[in-house]
Amino acid sequence: MTPALSTHALVAGYERDLPIVRGVDLAVAPGELVALLGPNGAGKSTLVKTVAGLVPVHSGTVRLAGTEITAAPAHEKVRHGLAFVPQTENIFATLSIHENLQLAAAILPRPRQAGRIAALYDTFPDLAARPGLRAGALSGGQRQMLAVARALVVEPAVLILDEPSAGLSPRIVSEVFERLRAINARGVTTVLVEQNVRAALAIADRAVILVEGRVAHEGPAATLAGDPIVGELYLGARRAEAPA
Amino acid sequence: MSPQVLLDGAIAGAMIGLGAIGVTLTYSILRFANFAHGDFLAWGAYFALAIAGALGALAGGLATPIEPFSFGWSLPLALLLAVPLTAGLALLVDALLFGPLRARRSAVIILVMASFGAALTLRSLLEFTFTSRPAYFTSELQIALRFGPVRATPDQLLTLAVAAVLVLLVHLLLTRTTLGRSMRAVSENPALAGVVGVDVRRVVRFAWILGAGLACVAGVMAGLLVQIRPQMGLDLLLPLFAAAILGGIGSIPGAMLAGLVVGIAEAATVQLVGAEWRAAVAFVILIAILLLRPQGIFGRAD
Repeated sequence: MTPALSTHALVAGYERDLPIVRGVDLAVAPGELVALLGPNGAGKSTLVKTVAGLVPVHSGTVRLAGTEITAAPAHEKVRHGLAFVPQTENIFATLSIHENLQLAAAILPRPRQAGRIAALYDTFPDLAARPGLRAGALSGGQRQMLAVARALVVEPAVLILDEPSAGLSPRIVSEVFERLRAINARGVTTVLVEQNVRAALAIADRAVILVEGRVAHEGPAATLAGDPIVGELYLGARRAEAPA
Repeated sequence: MSPQVLLDGAIAGAMIGLGAIGVTLTYSILRFANFAHGDFLAWGAYFALAIAGALGALAGGLATPIEPFSFGWSLPLALLLAVPLTAGLALLVDALLFGPLRARRSAVIILVMASFGAALTLRSLLEFTFTSRPAYFTSELQIALRFGPVRATPDQLLTLAVAAVLVLLVHLLLTRTTLGRSMRAVSENPALAGVVGVDVRRVVRFAWILGAGLACVAGVMAGLLVQIRPQMGLDLLLPLFAAAILGGIGSIPGAMLAGLVVGIAEAATVQLVGAEWRAAVAFVILIAILLLRPQGIFGRAD
């Protein structure tokens, strides 16, 4: 089966002679929810930003449902069905909630735009309560919901989120993750970069662990969640002190 | 302050405000202070002058003044052609100079210095082509109309009305249209705008077109109300930046309102202190706003 999203020997970084992503092969099956994990500085965020078109590719390829989109600018990747939610500054604070959604819906045919925004308001009723509110006035959790809603307006085939739990309280994190699981259950292929390993593995089908810009491990999320070596080496868990 | 000073200041301020809208647009979207913007005003005025002259020569009737104004149909027709020409000039400067610098991810100071170079080049080309002698759209004398305590010529009232309509249209464009929302989005966060599906290069092109188009109208207003000179862009540069910063970078109503403030302050200074201090007013306003409220009237501190 053609992967929904794949990279082949992807090398990328802001500086030509300083690659951060160093030859990543990744394949995400249609409908899969993949958690992209790894220690700080492993290149997780850079990898997803590269896929989204925000970081220069040095070599290798990025494909979406088999179509090569490596060199496409960010705005064209959206039209190919890729939606990306950055970790920070992921909404337009000076625009209203409704304008944020309108902006994303603008690439759809005009007759479909209002219907898609209405559907998102049904899914995220908190946003529907005050559509004219300046997005900068929203709380951290509401901003994250708006960012996800904004990404979903275009009905993407693949949704990539860069640390959606960053800066949120545990209660809000579980709410965001429940929503992500529900979105994935509707058939949206999802890639989730996370530092909150436990929460990510709890909802993911599969996890890929990145270390120093390369894929170090991958496997079913349930298996990795119970693997103490993986936890110690890459996810920051502490091995229990052995008795003397 | 007499009502006449207020009116005179508002008329000059409307022209400053239109020019400041272009400054604020290019500043917020391209993220650098374009010191060549004043020269787009001058080029706009000269484009209109040359076309109006040609139209008048081709069909003498077009130069006959339209009552009660001082100019014939040749000027509004010339303006319609001068606006796209000025926009084309701005796009050309961007393609030759600023675009390649952006592609190389040049520092802001490099872009600002490049804009100084562009300003000098554009100004020198005007002097070379048209000489430094002042030029006028019309030699007709106008009798000012009396409205209670104030007097104004029909030309002055028309420029005020045109400025008001244009500001309203630009405001509606930015707040009610997809293109306007895209411009505001790029102004806030260009990387996120791209991720959302906005073609940032298209928005940049439109910012140049809109800014230079408004500069052309402001230049024609300046030419109609005062005179046309190659140096007019340089003379207007400080008031334009004072208005753009006072209004809050990115704010269209702010730029217009601040243009009126700068225009009225200049007119009041001429009456109360002396004409030789006029040029200092914009400078004082600029320093004061940068010290006291750098985000401007409509800008947000966050």
